[in-house]
Amino acid sequence: MFSFLKICNISYSLTTYKQNQLILVTKDLENKFVAELEEHQNIIHKVCRTYTNNEAAHKDLFQEITIQLWKAYPKFRGESKFSTWMYRVAFNTAISLYRKSKRNINTSPIYDNLKELEYQGYDDEHDKQLDLLYKAIRSLNDIEKALALLYLEDKSYREISNTLGISEVNARVKMNRTKTKLKNILNP
Amino acid sequence: MVPIEESLKNIWKKQEDCKIKFTKEEINDMIYQKSSSVVKWILIISILEFILPNIFLLFTDYNSSIEFYKKYDLTNIMKVYFIIHFIVILIFIYIFYKNYKNISVGNSVKELMKNIIKTRKTVKYYIYYNIGMAAIVGIHIFFEVFSSDTFKETLPENANLITIWILALLIFSIVLLIFWGIYIAIYGFLLKKLKINYAELKKNG
Repeated sequence: MFSFLKICNISYSLTTYKQNQLILVTKDLENKFVAELEEHQNIIHKVCRTYTNNEAAHKDLFQEITIQLWKAYPKFRGESKFSTWMYRVAFNTAISLYRKSKRNINTSPIYDNLKELEYQGYDDEHDKQLDLLYKAIRSLNDIEKALALLYLEDKSYREISNTLGISEVNARVKMNRTKTKLKNILNP
Repeated sequence: MVPIEESLKNIWKKQEDCKIKFTKEEINDMIYQKSSSVVKWILIISILEFILPNIFLLFTDYNSSIEFYKKYDLTNIMKVYFIIHFIVILIFIYIFYKNYKNISVGNSVKELMKNIIKTRKTVKYYIYYNIGMAAIVGIHIFFEVFSSDTFKETLPENANLITIWILALLIFSIVLLIFWGIYIAIYGFLLKKLKINYAELKKNG
């Protein structure tokens, strides 16, 4: 009887030990993820600024992308760079998964109003140009937005084709169209 | 006037960090928030759509249905229909679950869209199946009832059986059409944006 209790006790402590280890591992993973995301958050901001036109929607989309990244993180095996994987998840969320919540619809485009706050002390002419560029990209369709962003980020056609899931030839054709469209918008 | 090509890249590269910047704590809070992704809505609505066609059965008076089937000698055929229906639902749920599991945000943009549309298609076929099955069973019941002596005896002398048929089928079709309309509305609402983008990616050249 005594030995039975002892075994029970040992197995109980083992289970708690395992559980504690599991919590530690999860916490570890969480810390690693948060640190990496914080470091690379600018990637998500670029995607958010491309796919939304006001601050509330920007933050909302950022949160959704973060949730999706965290959900997919255990499956991320590091075959690609963290930033490449982030782009993929961010585009997937912005293009396919994100549903605009109602509270964002009535807000006016605030990036213009924010600009003064946002870029105080920066090169004024450059800010204006960057703002125009973002505006132009925002007027493209969802897929072209992704193409424009990947182009500006200097990604290879191979990477673009992998991210979007289309052939390299198709990526090239689409990219040329997107560039022409972008030029026409910027210099009518 | 914005200069083009390489200078666009220069403008892009010179951009500073976004004004909106989140701290580690804020990011940590975010990962515990609930997702509001379209996939989550597809799951919720699909489960409802799997349940709804069958839920009204719960509200029907079981005993009076049994009485009704007995009266018109439909008990056996209804049992067969029920078994078929049950097996088909299980198959649909299995396929749906398999497709749902395939949805991964780590896939390419096109692959993800394809998987979402595929998952939703299962529900589409399920709805078609339900409408088809309801039509078959309904018409079968009408046929058995209207041609039975028990029914004919309850009819007044001058009643026209054809008029009764037309009326019954009309009401029945309207109910099925409403059901189908609601479904199409939800389906379109959920996947409109996705379908446009998928078509854009599939376009060759």
